[in-house]
Amino acid sequence: MLVLKGIAASPGVAIGPAILLPSESFALSRQYISQNEIPAETQKFQEAMQHTLAELDACEHKVLGTLGSEYANLMSTHKLILQDPAFGSAILHKIQHERLSAQAAILFTLQELADSFNKIEDPFFKERRNDLFDVGKRLANNLTGSKDNFLASIQRPSLLVAHNLYPSDTINLQENQILGFCTDVGGKTSHTALLAQSLNLPAVVGLSTASKDVHAGDTLIIDGENGLLVINPDKYTLSNYRKIQRDLKKTEALLKTINHLPVITQDGHPVKLLVNFDPRTDNKANKHLITDGLGLLRTEFIFMGTPVPPSEDEQYHVYLAAAKRFDMRPVTIRLADLGADKKPDFPLDEFDQDENPFMGCRGIRLLLKNPELLRTQLRAIVRTACEVPAQLGIMIPMVSSVEEVRHVRRAFDEILAQFTAEGKRPVNKIALGAMIEVPSAAIALDGMIGELDFISIGTNDLIQYLMAVDRVNQEVAHLYDPCHPAVARTLNLIIQTAHKRGKKVSICGEIASDTKMLPLLLGLNIDALSVTPRMFLRVKNNIRLSHFEHCSDLAQAALLMGSSEEIRKLIEQNNEHENP
Amino acid sequence: MVQCDFKIINQLGLHARPAALIAQTAGNYKSAIYLTKDSVRVDAKSIMGVMMLAAEHGATLHFTAEGPDEKEAAAAIKALFENKFNEEF
Repeated sequence: MLVLKGIAASPGVAIGPAILLPSESFALSRQYISQNEIPAETQKFQEAMQHTLAELDACEHKVLGTLGSEYANLMSTHKLILQDPAFGSAILHKIQHERLSAQAAILFTLQELADSFNKIEDPFFKERRNDLFDVGKRLANNLTGSKDNFLASIQRPSLLVAHNLYPSDTINLQENQILGFCTDVGGKTSHTALLAQSLNLPAVVGLSTASKDVHAGDTLIIDGENGLLVINPDKYTLSNYRKIQRDLKKTEALLKTINHLPVITQDGHPVKLLVNFDPRTDNKANKHLITDGLGLLRTEFIFMGTPVPPSEDEQYHVYLAAAKRFDMRPVTIRLADLGADKKPDFPLDEFDQDENPFMGCRGIRLLLKNPELLRTQLRAIVRTACEVPAQLGIMIPMVSSVEEVRHVRRAFDEILAQFTAEGKRPVNKIALGAMIEVPSAAIALDGMIGELDFISIGTNDLIQYLMAVDRVNQEVAHLYDPCHPAVARTLNLIIQTAHKRGKKVSICGEIASDTKMLPLLLGLNIDALSVTPRMFLRVKNNIRLSHFEHCSDLAQAALLMGSSEEIRKLIEQNNEHENP
Repeated sequence: MVQCDFKIINQLGLHARPAALIAQTAGNYKSAIYLTKDSVRVDAKSIMGVMMLAAEHGATLHFTAEGPDEKEAAAAIKALFENKFNEEF
């Protein structure tokens, strides 16, 4: 038995016999052809071209349906590379004038292009080589039919081991009896890893030597939960993993059955469960989810990568699409949280080099300095509300004092008046709320809650500001601690203050999808959680398994504790008790 | 012949998608269209050529087009640079 540690790229456990992806045996040999073979070789190349193009078309179509437009764009980029005149003409030239075989011509052209990409110093551009190779190898394979035939020739369910796997390979794995895969290279955020997650294939990447250590036919366990690859496990390990696998499958199956059930604890306490929505990665699976609405629409993406601020019209179309997508359910649009790590390309007031950008001009501060930006966004939202009977909410990011809320309220009222003057009014009243993420807003919430219709807690930033810890800074990142007593107490303060005034509170940070933290959040009497679509059913299931009364006891105990260690121990004990 | 300079204003520079858009757009015109950066000249109809420029945020590209529809081509490419490369939103 050999255990290799890699990076957990996609959750789940897969057990089965190993299949090794034949290493790309593209030895660069100058294979020459005779003069009279040129027409045949040219035709072979052109047929491979057509075949590859058709494959990419089919891929793009499939991906658009299952994984969303981001990945479909990747495929259409691959199509463009394939059709690039520089690519095709270089290959043809090599066949017809240098008399190279079609395969050699493709590989040498790839090599030359890769060399020029390698000369680029910027790592971001260097990476584009991968796209080039993905396309080039697909083309070369279509010439010989090697890899596709290889995957199609797999007779029984197997685990795939490869040195490297391209995104376009990954897309086709599931229908070829592959239960999971592992690779020597790659990271958690690589396209291949993200694809594996979307396809529900357990995967471990970054194993360095897996393709050398594994032999065809070895029994493998791919543990995508912990990032482990077990080669030829002993009996004990195998039976242990079979049990884990059964449990995971049971949960998976269960998750599918609870979609239509209410989000309610065992003892009947209801919680609203919403999704953080990104229109760029929306897909079929997400559309099936029965949610209580859109809890957080981040709008920064509309403002990035453009030389001029987005127009009212452009924004209106994004908001209208989101409102229609969620029908009559609440849709909360957060005003652009620009600044800090999200700097737009167009010029703005008060946007000089910030020494400390996270404490600088971001969120509502930036919008108030650039009132035109704020007005345009508010107008686009109000226009949407006049158009469809949606329940729209406007959420103000980075609020630190009540004056900021009043400024926005005034701007909002002015815009409403403008619309009224034009004879238009929102079908439903638009709610105005704030994202509570700055400690001062949490502590002095009583002073501003009267001006707000709802509040949502942005726990990622709130914890960062409470601890004065920059999560990106390796030296202090470990101090970022959701179990810190200050976190539970601050959440409690916010929720209590809001409830006293009859206002609802939701949480839309990562903490909302953290299984261990859920009992604490429920116990603090949170009204709603907003999570990424991928975690939605898991969180729903966890809520449905919880006892509100137990959670309340746990939260009350945690509020009395003075150290992270005690709170962590309490949460872990509770977790073991609930899931023995 | 039409000649002009374009400045790259989007944060990520000419990565795959903007390069794809340029190549796609240029491909719609009969004119010979070239982009030049630091004395490297590439065919604007070639996505790989455009990517190989590795044009980052702030870089300036020299544009030339020559042919029957050179003016229209110049206007279309100019619009891409100005109206953001991401046509989606």
